[in-house]
Amino acid sequence: MAEVLQSLSNALADTVQAAGAGVVRVEARRRLPATGIVWSADGVIVTAHHVVERDDNITVGLPNGQSVSATLVGRDPSTDVAVLRVQGSSLTALDKASGDYRVGHLVLAIGRPGESVLSTLGIISALGESFRTGAGKVDRYLQADVSMYPGFSGGPLIGVDGKVIGMNTSGFRGANITIPVSTLRRVVDAVLAHGHVKQGYLGIGAQPVRLPSALSQQLNQETALLIASVEPDSPADKGGLLLGDTLVALDGEPLRHIDDLMGLLTSDRVGSTVTVRLVRGGEIKEVKVTIGERA
Amino acid sequence: MSDLLQQLNAEMASVADNVKRSLVQISNGRGGAGAGTIWHADGLIVTNAHVISGRHSLNVTLPDGRMLPARVLAQDETRDLAALAVEASGLPTIEPGDSRQLKPGHWVFAVGHPWGVLGAVTAGIVIGVGSQWPEFPPSGQDYVVVSLKVRPGNSGGPLVDVRGRLVGVNAMMTGPNVGVAVPSHVVKAFLREALGTPRAEPVPEGIL
Repeated sequence: MAEVLQSLSNALADTVQAAGAGVVRVEARRRLPATGIVWSADGVIVTAHHVVERDDNITVGLPNGQSVSATLVGRDPSTDVAVLRVQGSSLTALDKASGDYRVGHLVLAIGRPGESVLSTLGIISALGESFRTGAGKVDRYLQADVSMYPGFSGGPLIGVDGKVIGMNTSGFRGANITIPVSTLRRVVDAVLAHGHVKQGYLGIGAQPVRLPSALSQQLNQETALLIASVEPDSPADKGGLLLGDTLVALDGEPLRHIDDLMGLLTSDRVGSTVTVRLVRGGEIKEVKVTIGERA
Repeated sequence: MSDLLQQLNAEMASVADNVKRSLVQISNGRGGAGAGTIWHADGLIVTNAHVISGRHSLNVTLPDGRMLPARVLAQDETRDLAALAVEASGLPTIEPGDSRQLKPGHWVFAVGHPWGVLGAVTAGIVIGVGSQWPEFPPSGQDYVVVSLKVRPGNSGGPLVDVRGRLVGVNAMMTGPNVGVAVPSHVVKAFLREALGTPRAEPVPEGIL
C-alpha cells in the first residue's frame, strides 16, 4: 500500500538531508539570518547580495553546528550574488547541475535560517533565455513554484539528483527567481579574481529619441540614443563621440533603449575596441571606441 | 500518462479517502466550523482549543452524517489542543503516526474544511520540525511546519503521513503556503495528562 508515495516521501527526505551537508546559515544582517551554498570545499560560500547587509562581522553557521566567521570577498548587485569565504575544513561542496532540467521537473528549495535544514518542494515552472537586470545579465531565466520560506534567500534550488540548479533569491523587486549555476559560476570566478564583476563604461549620458522617418527606414530602427552629455577624458570622449551624436548600434547590435546599451557594456568588452554606428549632422558614421571599466 | 504518475495519483486518492473516514466537522450551530479527528471509537475527538474556545453549544458532524452534541473533556490553550466527547461508539478512527519520525522533505497531507469545503485535501512536504523557529520569538512549543495550503476551516483537522497516519493537528497558517501543526507526540502528551494514560493512544475500531 502506498509504495510509490512512500518511496517518493523517503527519497525527498533523503535528498534534503544529503543537500543539507552543503548548505550554511549566513548571519550578515540584523534580522533573520539567510542561507548560503558551499560552493567549494576550500571555503567559498555563495549567497544573495541583498542578505549581506554589512561588510564585516559576518558569521556562517555550518551543518555540523559550528559557527565560524566569514569574510566578504565581493558582490555583484546586478545578479544579487555575494561571495563569502570561511576557513574551510570538513566542508562539503554541493555538486552543480549541468543543465539537463526541464519545465515540470521536481525541485527542492533548501534553507538554513536556523540550526536545522528546511525545505520546500515545487516544480520548474518556466525556463527561458538570458535576460538583463539593468546592469547585469542572468544567463538563463529559471523560475520554480517553490515557496520561499523566510531566510531561504541565498540557498540552493536542487534537482532530485541533489545537484544545485541555481541560487534562490527574493531580491528582484520581491519576485522569487533562481539564478542559474552558469551565472553563479561566471560571477564567482569574476569576484574571486577581481572582487567584483567588471562592467563596461562609456562615459555618456543618453536618452532615447525617435529617428526621422528616412533614417528610420534606412537603418530599420525606430529609436536610437541621443548623447546628452560626455564625461571629459572618458572612453566616449577619447573615442571622439560628441554631444548631439545619435548612437544607433554598438558592434552591430541595435541601440533602441538605454537597456540595450547597458546590456552591451559587459565585462568581456572592458578594454576592447568596439564599432559604434551613429548619426551626426544627418549622416551615418562609424566610430571606434575602446570601452573602459566602471569604477 | 506514465504508470508511475498514475500509481502516485491512485495512492494519494486512497490516502485521502481513508483519512476522511475519521474526519469530523465541529460547529457551534451559528455557522463557522472547524475540523476534528476521531481518536477513539467510543467518541473521543481531538481538535484545536481555538476551534472550540468561546463556543457554548458545540456540535460534531460525523463522517456518516449524524450531528451530535459534544462535551469538552479538556482543553489546553498553550498547546492549542482540545478533547471532545460525543455519545457514539464503533466510530472509524485515525491511525496513529509518529511525528518524531518526520523529516524535512517527507510528504504529508492536511485534511479539513477550508473555507467550508468539506473534506478537502492539500498536500506538500514537511519544511521542518521542532521548537526553534528563528523568525518567531521562542515559545518552547514543538511544531511541524509544512508546505501546503491550509485555510480557515482546516484548523483541528489531521496532518497525516503517506500512510494516512496522524502526525499532527493542523493549527494555523503563517503564509499562503505554510501550515503549522501541533505534532502528534504533543497530542499524546496532552491526552495523557488530561485524561490518563489509557486514552493517550488512539484506539482503533474493533478493539474495545
